[in-house]
Amino acid sequence: MSWKKTADAVVVGGGMMGMATAYYLKKIGLKDVALVEKNTPASGSTGRCAASFRAQWGGALNITLGKACIDRFEHLAEHLGVDMDIQLYQNGYLLVAYTERQFEQFKKNVELQNSMGVTSKLLNHSEALEICPGIEVSDAVGFSYYKRDGHADPMITNFAYCEAARGIGVRIEKFTGVVGFKVDCDSVRGVVTDRGPIDTDTVVNAAGPWAGRVGALAGLNIPVKGERHELMVTEPVDWGVCPTMLMSFEPDYYMFQRPHGSILAGCGPSRYRREAGPFDDYQMGASWNFMEHMAGHVNKLIPRARGVRIVRQWSGMYDITPDLQPVIGESDELKGFWVNVSGARGFMFGPVAGEMVAEKIVNGHTSLPIDEFHWRRYAEGRFLVEPSVA
Amino acid sequence: MPLIERHPILDFKHDGKVEFTFDGKAMEGFEGEPIAAALHSNGVKIYRETPEMKRPRGFFCAIGKCSSCFMVVDGVPNVRTCVTPLRRGMAVLTQRGRGSVSIAEGEARR
Ligand SMILES: Cc1cc2nc3c(=O)[nH]c(=O)nc-3n(C[C@H](O)[C@H](O)[C@H](O)COP(=O)(O)OP(=O)(O)OC[C@H]3O[C@@H](n4cnc5c(N)ncnc54)[C@H](O)[C@@H]3O)c2cc1C
Ligand code: FES
Repeated sequence: MSWKKTADAVVVGGGMMGMATAYYLKKIGLKDVALVEKNTPASGSTGRCAASFRAQWGGALNITLGKACIDRFEHLAEHLGVDMDIQLYQNGYLLVAYTERQFEQFKKNVELQNSMGVTSKLLNHSEALEICPGIEVSDAVGFSYYKRDGHADPMITNFAYCEAARGIGVRIEKFTGVVGFKVDCDSVRGVVTDRGPIDTDTVVNAAGPWAGRVGALAGLNIPVKGERHELMVTEPVDWGVCPTMLMSFEPDYYMFQRPHGSILAGCGPSRYRREAGPFDDYQMGASWNFMEHMAGHVNKLIPRARGVRIVRQWSGMYDITPDLQPVIGESDELKGFWVNVSGARGFMFGPVAGEMVAEKIVNGHTSLPIDEFHWRRYAEGRFLVEPSVA
Repeated sequence: MPLIERHPILDFKHDGKVEFTFDGKAMEGFEGEPIAAALHSNGVKIYRETPEMKRPRGFFCAIGKCSSCFMVVDGVPNVRTCVTPLRRGMAVLTQRGRGSVSIAEGEARR
């Protein structure tokens, strides 16, 4: 295959964030957009994630963006002009509070969400049981719920962006790893890949958990690292066992049933990881500790799921930033070098973050606010505070 | 119907006779033999109905490898009845589709 040595922009990484960025860059107006992916689209975090999306955040900015993401997911295939079913399912996140303090926070969140057009609400036990019959949550204090939150299929959604991008002429180079950058004083001039160089004045680093490593190839310190999280899935059973996204931040768990019937469940690594010594988050694997811990949660919360077999477990990485919020913008040190990292919510955030970064690159301004996500905030001692994360 | 005494792959014994139910009907079998063997000797040959095409399924591999004999046993769906030993009082149900996980069973097992 011929190798084109120039591009108007090169996106690094073919997950949700990168694929969406490439699509919108081309769509909004750049002529020649290339995307380089060291493996295959969706092979990173995106294809391994729980693929859920929500507007139930605690900070105004995240609520605005979360809502925009839901608006987009609801009509994604049409929006992209592809004939694909992303297997969207919306029956809310049912967030569970186990302490008065958590519930007080839910009250504040719901008030703010409501003021911004997100019609979430607080629920009591019987209302929660109506949404998710048969669950054991008698030890909970209260709940919040927003009907339009939901989930989809991560791979099909990523591939939908891939198809759409290819369809409008984005060059997608699979099995093409970035190994360096061409830099001229304070500007980026190109990417060097293991298949050859591409000259360009605009690079978007959308390498998710690898974004710190990719940044380092350009001599930059991008504050992103991978953190391995695990997920497990049961064999499919009849619909209705967990027809909402059942989630708590403390203790940290989430579980839900996909339309096909499988129950998925996961949680953060601090709950089960017991390995001593250095741990390589970039090494994928599946631990017994996780399975034991997670199965315990599922059995407790969904008593009727006991006995349902687990058919698979796997891991992926959260793209972790110092405040668990996105890291987005153009480098102050290297002109033309952009970063688009979600802060561990790249599935839901990809469609909107991709469009905003593309708008910013092409038009110089964006229709939704993303400027606060620039990582210079850390050097200035500013952390974004989001109460609704585990 | 004559029962096989020795199975080339599975080890099971014919212990004492026990009662169990199939779709609510009382039946008898030998404790410890595969549930499916007990059903077979009671003349039951359809164990489940497939999710999409609603086709009947029964014994196929008979060694726990193929999913053909999945039934709901004591409220747990997808039990491989060809390798699961029969116990006294088991409630065995024809599995329709992917298998129901009833709230009542969940309550009982809390
Ligand atoms: C278990 C789990 C559950 C999750 N659940 C959710 C959820 O419910 N909702 C949600 O929104 N998010 C969820 N996340 C987070 C989400 O998966 C990530 O935030 C998101 O996938 C990041 O997308 P991305 O495109 O930035 O990164 P990725 O999908 O990881 O894509 C980055 C790509 O860059 C490529 N790459 C890396 N280095 C190079 C290089 N040198 N050259 C070329 N290419 C390179 C990689 O191969 C990879 O394909 C979850 C994550 C995990 C692990
Ligand atoms: S008949 Fe094949 S698994 Fe039981």
